[in-house]
Amino acid sequence: MLRFLTRRVIGAAVILVIISGVTFFLFFVIPADPARLACGKVCPPETLAQARHNLGLDHPVAVQFVSWLGGIFVGRDYPGLGNCPAPCLGYSFVNRAPVFETIIDRLPVTIALTIGASVIFLTFGVATGIIAALRQGKALDKIASISSLVGASMQIYFVGTLAMYFFVYQAHIFPQPKYIPITEDPVGWFNGLLLPWIVLAIIFTANYTRMTRSTMVENLSEDYVRTARAKGMSGRSVVMRFALRGTLTPIITIFGVDLGQLIGGAIITETTFGLQGIGRLSVRAVDYSDLPTLMATVLVAAGAIVGMNIVVDALYAVIDPRVRLS
Amino acid sequence: MNHRKRSALAVVAAASLALVGACAPGNAGAPSSAPASAGASSAPAAEAYKPPTITLGTAEDSKGPAIPPEGVVKGGTVTMIDRDDFAHFDPAQIYVNTDANFGLLISRGLTGYKRVAKGDYKLVGDLATDAGTVSDGGKTWTFTLKDGVKWQDGSPITSADVKWSVERMFAPFVTFGPNYIQTWLTSENYKKDYPGPYGGKELDNIETPDAKSIVFKFNSPHADANYAFAMAGYNIVPKAKDTKEKYDKEPVSSGPYIIKSHVVDKSLELARNPNWDAATDPIRGAYPDVWKMEFGQEATQVTDRLVADSGPDQTAFTFYSNTPAERLQQVLGDASLADRRMISPSPYGNYYYFNLDRVKDQKIRQAINYAWPAKQIQQALGGPQAVALPTTILNENTTVGYKPYDLFGKLAKPEGDIEKAKQLLAESSNPHPTIVYAYNNLPTQEPVTLVIKNALEKAGIKVVAKSLDRKTYYDSISQTKNEFDLYWGGWGADWPSGSTVMPIIFGPVSDGGQNMSHLNDPTVKAEMKKIEENPDIDAANAAWMNLDKQIQETITPMVVAENRIGTFLHGSKVGGAEIDPQQWIVSPNTIFVKQ
Repeated sequence: MLRFLTRRVIGAAVILVIISGVTFFLFFVIPADPARLACGKVCPPETLAQARHNLGLDHPVAVQFVSWLGGIFVGRDYPGLGNCPAPCLGYSFVNRAPVFETIIDRLPVTIALTIGASVIFLTFGVATGIIAALRQGKALDKIASISSLVGASMQIYFVGTLAMYFFVYQAHIFPQPKYIPITEDPVGWFNGLLLPWIVLAIIFTANYTRMTRSTMVENLSEDYVRTARAKGMSGRSVVMRFALRGTLTPIITIFGVDLGQLIGGAIITETTFGLQGIGRLSVRAVDYSDLPTLMATVLVAAGAIVGMNIVVDALYAVIDPRVRLS
Repeated sequence: MNHRKRSALAVVAAASLALVGACAPGNAGAPSSAPASAGASSAPAAEAYKPPTITLGTAEDSKGPAIPPEGVVKGGTVTMIDRDDFAHFDPAQIYVNTDANFGLLISRGLTGYKRVAKGDYKLVGDLATDAGTVSDGGKTWTFTLKDGVKWQDGSPITSADVKWSVERMFAPFVTFGPNYIQTWLTSENYKKDYPGPYGGKELDNIETPDAKSIVFKFNSPHADANYAFAMAGYNIVPKAKDTKEKYDKEPVSSGPYIIKSHVVDKSLELARNPNWDAATDPIRGAYPDVWKMEFGQEATQVTDRLVADSGPDQTAFTFYSNTPAERLQQVLGDASLADRRMISPSPYGNYYYFNLDRVKDQKIRQAINYAWPAKQIQQALGGPQAVALPTTILNENTTVGYKPYDLFGKLAKPEGDIEKAKQLLAESSNPHPTIVYAYNNLPTQEPVTLVIKNALEKAGIKVVAKSLDRKTYYDSISQTKNEFDLYWGGWGADWPSGSTVMPIIFGPVSDGGQNMSHLNDPTVKAEMKKIEENPDIDAANAAWMNLDKQIQETITPMVVAENRIGTFLHGSKVGGAEIDPQQWIVSPNTIFVKQ
């Protein structure tokens, strides 16, 4: 297991460097001058040159990339602004702050949003899928199937906007969504995120219901399930110990991808509910041609997906003994 | 102010977000006949918009405290919600109106605008005892600091601080603020003339005879220098606490509040500055005890929250989130919102510039002006409640001595006079010209472009529309050798006079410059120089207005574009909320929390 994990982590690091490099080089294809943003209305050529120097833009792109990469491990000095300690993901001239500070500030919002929604959609999605599979062809199955189809067809910006209008502005059932650190006010944290969690879960639950149902139906007709039943095991044991276990493998696969994507930034959800997470930060970075922040958000998104893939691969072995790590 | 900056700030989702990047006031205002509000049937009857009156105050006017708005209550916590955080806190780096407006809460300058009544403002002494004394034919300006003005640590504000604050604006790291005073003290190449005070060198033409007096000796007359000093960019910084670049993040307050906490792009909280004395301040009411600011809310969210007016949002308002088009009918049509609506046309100048290097025949330029489908553009952008149709280059909101004119019959025929256009084209060098129209690739500009194309083609003008990427739009159109005939650009006045508009938009022709029509007329240049050096400010203001009409009459370098009308909301427990007509942003000076 250790060898496996070591190998995967090294592979992940290489992937992240490649993604960072591609993003970095692609950024310079965009017809926008980051130095111009760091230099205001009165920007004579010498000041612009100074801004370019301060940003390190007067070096070849490859050298800039190496400097950026090196900053992550040993920090960097920014003339006139001081030292950016490791892990230095760059200095944002838009936010006037080291990017790492901003990421650390925004990440808890996105993680809280992701975890809360995941608990809801995983629980409801899998439970509904199991019930639908066990009641195959009956009313409950049909209701679950139709509901999941409707849910899967919905868009967050639509459901979220409606939910805000009716439940926050009209009925006042939910407070204005906002992020309060759980350490400051656990109840406020829960209340502030409950509506975004539910809306996000409505969209995602559908996929899990459908996936669980179809896989469960398939597993229930497998030989090993039939054998277990033939040996006299109770229906509950058959479902929970055999059929469900087999069902979990694809569920965990898509859950890993979803979790990675959500941590990378639930852009639309965060925008709809005005939450200041990684998703909104990345949109703003694109808007303002804020390369250091953009790089960091890409890195977080890529790291989340790559990291979750490693976790998923490791979990395969725990759930399904047929999987051999080596 | 530069709409390039506005664009850089607003980008993407903000087409409807009145994120004005501007310095102070701009031009291109709504004519007084423009409806300020013409909403649905349940909306209040449309009132004719009345531009502000801006006059010069006396020493008596410069005494504190500020004139309180009706029903004012002191205390409480007010919340401001908007999309973006403030870009700068260092006064020297402040040019855009959002930063300047926030600056009112934490910093002060020599002069500023005092609200006497709604729509009635006076330029008064802020830290100075009056709005300054001019001598030497407009070349020398003297200010005296008031007694009892202090920094947040209780130390006195001195003339040395004022001198230092102006000198540091020459430093290489200062790149965002205004440059008027620096240029007047030295030259156009002011950064080369003087490197700033950090090396120990001082500017000899700023004198501080004592701790209270400061004298500026300019190279040429500038009768409106006291207006220039009212720009937030010329607010002051303590010499003893100047941390150069870092000051932008750790400002020292001279205003009524200090920054208690700030999470970049997320939240900001202000608490009272115990060393600010209301008796010295004729401008800032500073009624709430605490200011909370919340960023990251799109204009739609801000509007929805303020319409709902629930719980804590009852004490909330927005500095600049203009009601977006999709909510405008709802907001204007809801009679219950009447007391919480604020409506004002933009003070900025919006123009469709002709590239005079390419469209050389004035008859063709005049024909386009006559054929211009102003009314159709107005409809495409949300109707008369969202857009006004100005007819002058200078904006009535920001021009003392404003005098309206309507050269091309826009008020009589806002839909365009195609016959008159055809007649002019027939007399021109090319009765069927082709015009290359470049536009910014924003969702709002597609329908506008279609409207323009249809109207001009009716007059016999072929329009080739070129969509430009929003990130490179301004770079493309501000190239002197561009390949376009017509394109939109904007500018806003920095104080209520043509002196910060005309010499900019008809100034030097250069790549990246603001003279987008490439007008390079010796008569106009000479007239502008003459007006700039006129020591009689009233005569100068009148002369700018005359030049405005003269340029359109004799050269016609542009079509004056439509002007946005902003509709802002505030919560039911917020009192004294008003849009500053010069800045097009809700002023913090009169805000209070109803108990």
